[in-house]
Amino acid sequence: MTNILEIKRLCVAVDGEELLHDLDLTVPEGEVHALLGPNGSGKTTLVMAIAGYPEYRVTAGQILFDGDDITELDITERARLGIGLSQQRPPSIAGVRLQQVLDYVIANAPQRAQEIDGLAKAFQIERFLDRDINAALSGGEIKRSELFQLLATRPRFAMMDEPDSGIDLEALALVGDMVNALLSREAARPVQRRAGLIITHTGQILDYVHADKAHIMLDGRIGCSGNPHILLDTIRKHGYEECIRCILRRQKG
Amino acid sequence: MKVLNADSAKSPSGPDLGPDRYLTTPETPTPAVISPDQVEPADAKVMASVGVYVEGKGRAGTYILRDFHTLCLAAQSDDVELLPIAGALQQYDWLRQKYYWKAVPADLDKYTAQCASLPEPQGYFVRVQKGAKVTFPVQACLYIAQGNIAQAVHNIVILEEGAELCLITGCATRYGVSSAAHLGVTECYVGRDARLTSTMVHSWGPNVEVRPRSGTIVEEGGAFVSNYCSLRPARSIQTDPRTWLNGKHASAKYFTIILGSQGSTIDIGGQVYLNGEDTSAELAHRAVCTGGHIYQRGLLVGNAPCQAHVDCAGMVLDAGKDGFIQSIPGLMALHPEARMSHEASIGKIAPEQVEYLQSRGMEEREAISLIIRGFLGGDIVGLGPELDARIAEIAELAGHGEE
Repeated sequence: MTNILEIKRLCVAVDGEELLHDLDLTVPEGEVHALLGPNGSGKTTLVMAIAGYPEYRVTAGQILFDGDDITELDITERARLGIGLSQQRPPSIAGVRLQQVLDYVIANAPQRAQEIDGLAKAFQIERFLDRDINAALSGGEIKRSELFQLLATRPRFAMMDEPDSGIDLEALALVGDMVNALLSREAARPVQRRAGLIITHTGQILDYVHADKAHIMLDGRIGCSGNPHILLDTIRKHGYEECIRCILRRQKG
Repeated sequence: MKVLNADSAKSPSGPDLGPDRYLTTPETPTPAVISPDQVEPADAKVMASVGVYVEGKGRAGTYILRDFHTLCLAAQSDDVELLPIAGALQQYDWLRQKYYWKAVPADLDKYTAQCASLPEPQGYFVRVQKGAKVTFPVQACLYIAQGNIAQAVHNIVILEEGAELCLITGCATRYGVSSAAHLGVTECYVGRDARLTSTMVHSWGPNVEVRPRSGTIVEEGGAFVSNYCSLRPARSIQTDPRTWLNGKHASAKYFTIILGSQGSTIDIGGQVYLNGEDTSAELAHRAVCTGGHIYQRGLLVGNAPCQAHVDCAGMVLDAGKDGFIQSIPGLMALHPEARMSHEASIGKIAPEQVEYLQSRGMEEREAISLIIRGFLGGDIVGLGPELDARIAEIAELAGHGEE
């Protein structure tokens, strides 16, 4: 199986401070990985760097997408290759409506107009299509708006930054449905899901979405990788503190 | 009529301009009036860029002034009376007595004086009679095809009681005409319960100097909406249109959109005198500065129980060392029940907004254009297709730079 994402010894700095150190990560085509870790461990930094946000400066290492080095590509080029990101705290843009972003997407893929319209109905997005993007939306609405944009753009590799944070159980179920729709099988590849990377602090989203593998980040590195359910059970029972101790023990040993 | 020496009464704001630097009277004989569809294609293209379509489709009337002469005059609706101003003055004695130079004083400054000094005024006269609601807009183009002239125009618009009209005035220079002056006087009279929407679009050559002088009087229940859009910055534009809301429940809305670039000075004001009970006024300035100097002014004067708001917002994009926007919203409450407010903000595009849209696949320039478009018109409801198209054009120009 080919790897859709391969990150090799990646170092990323923000405002001159290195936040990711020699990080390695591989996501095979068709797999969905979960990224766990305590606050400040570098999860958001990693996905912002993969998406190509210039504030997240790659100082060393490589990001390969579908085998090609994309480390020097800008955000637009990466988005057009099929890298999508739903942010945890996206910016609002006065006067720019969600509908205008959709219009842009549809203009580039007119054959999908009907499908996107159907998705807006199915996930109850219609009522904020004409609002300024991300403005005056609740936490749950922002998650849905972000995921809906990913559904509309249909990226080959979807990254989601804490789709489960700050929302109630009912909203979580809807968000879970949206993530599953986003990662659902592609028509041309009946045995494969779309690849993705889901950041979750609490792991709640994994009650709704199957992840093939999980990674625990600590201090800008992947400290541990394995079965999502086992890792999540450990975190739920013992907290991240135990994970940290275990990782440190292994590093020393 | 008192006419000042053109060298004496300087305008209180804007760079001083001597009309005597320009040719002020025609050197060629008066050309024949032609049908709009006979306008030369190159000129028609420029006119279309400021919202004036020579095909006349979807328009109730067309007036085109080229340099010093009426080029086209076509009224396509029985509800609209459209004449050259000189002809209207000949035809109607009451026009001179009641309206001519009554909303804009001839001695306001040297530019009005220049207009008043001409032996035969040029410009349009539009009248909509009592109760007539004109479905399609009337369009007028004030066009400069010859360089180094000072085009002086005097327009009068009269809406009688209960009448409704949309007026689109496009002002432009022919491609290749760099230097000229445009002095424009426009007097509007909005009768009781009448509604006038005036959309003016400017697209001038880089060394054109523009001095519009406008005055509007609104009677009881009347509504005046003024949209002004400057697409391609002239060397200097200075205007401070005034509106008097004299009747109860009269209202005025001004919305201006300015694109400034290096070497230009654009000074856009707006004064509204709220004299009638329960009158309301809203003045919104939006400017994008890619260089040059932009001044946004607004003065609302509450002489009665009224509501008024002025809002100046500017966005600065790669304006260089000398580029700036200065916002000067002003309020004067002369009545204890005058409720008035103002706001002003100037900023730049936040990079995270651009990057966010890029993450959806847009090019950086496309993202900037969309953000500018939102800034210019996103919070103003019901601008209509004409202004929407112009906003899109400004956003495109500002986002992509002039190429």
